[in-house]
Formats: sequence, C-alpha cells, structure tokens
Amino acid sequence: MLEISNYNSSSSTYGLYKKLLSKIQLSKDINDAQRESLFIKDICNRIEKSKTVLYVLELDTEIIGLISLSVTSIQDQPSMQVDYIFVSEKYRSKPLKELDNLKPFKYLIEIAISIAKEIKETVGLRYIVLSPDTEELIHKYKSLSFKELTKEWMYLKI
Amino acid sequence: MALRIKDGKVISITPPKTLTKEQLKKMEETPVNEKLIKEATSRKYNIVFR
Repeated sequence: MLEISNYNSSSSTYGLYKKLLSKIQLSKDINDAQRESLFIKDICNRIEKSKTVLYVLELDTEIIGLISLSVTSIQDQPSMQVDYIFVSEKYRSKPLKELDNLKPFKYLIEIAISIAKEIKETVGLRYIVLSPDTEELIHKYKSLSFKELTKEWMYLKI
Repeated sequence: MALRIKDGKVISITPPKTLTKEQLKKMEETPVNEKLIKEATSRKYNIVFR
C-alpha cells in the first residue's frame, strides 16, 4: 500500500536514521551513497530541532523516496524550501502505476506543491524554492516549471 | 537541495534575503503552471503522522 509518513518535531525519531537506511536503496556509486547517507542523517537531526519536516514515500515495506521541507523567506516573501529530495536507486526515472504513472521525483515535488498550497492561505506562501547542486538537477527542475533565480537558487510560483 | 557537503560535513545554505529589482520582477511576473498545480492538488495523498 502506498503511504506517506510525516516525521516532524513531535514524532518519535529514535532510530529513524537506521530505519530509513534499512528500507532505501542508496546509489551504487560509493561516493554518492556516502553523500546520501550523510544528508539523510543530517535531516533526521534537523527534524528533532524543528528545522525540517520529512515526508517518506513508502510502498509496502520499501521506501520509494523522501522529501524534506521547511519554511523560509525570500525578500520577506514566505516560501517553502525543499531541503532535500531523494529517490531510492531502484525507483529512479521509472514511472510507477502506484504513483499515477509519474516518476517518483515528480511525485515527490507534487507532494510538496500540494502541502504548500494547503498552507498557502495561512502563511501566504507564494513560492517553493530549492538549490539544485548539479546541472542535471537544474534541467529536471526546469522541466517541472522551476525558474532560475540566482546561480544557486530556483523557484516555482504556486 | 539546500544542503551541501563541505569538508566531509553537511552544511545548510539559505536563500538570498534580498533580491535585485530584476529578480523581484521576474518572480512577480512568472506565470503559475496551473496544470501542474491542479495535477498535484487534485490527488489524495495518504499521509500518516508518525
């Protein structure tokens, strides 16, 4: 069954990092895998400190991917920030019927859009912002209507 | 995303606090992708709070 687990500062995050790692498939490249595990560990620490909220996309006993979100501002404009997004190696670039035939990456972004729209009315969110760290990611986000703001940051108007 | 690795440690980077007039204008004038928003918001997500 498809489920999205929300982990926030009220959640029990004891052992979360190990639990996540046991259900995801990191990159085959050892350097990429090490980098991903460092990010996921950091995200788990940030949840406890109320610095981010984690959404984990699970299908039965496996994790398809995860997205970590927080609220920020750009020039006094409240915005939602994508802190981290990850798709398990085996699910990358594959449309899944359980995800309405979307690739997990797009599905995770659509979860963020839906959450941002939900809280838009209360805090006046107008943008989703993120900072891709590779050229490949910049192209991916452009295909999802994100625009370049600075050399490091992109935004999506909602 | 907003996390980077520097000297083996994870660091976070924050969005710019101030923007140029051009950047602000670009953001203001960007149209909303209504199709994408509709697709994302019309779906029912099974969110479980842990």
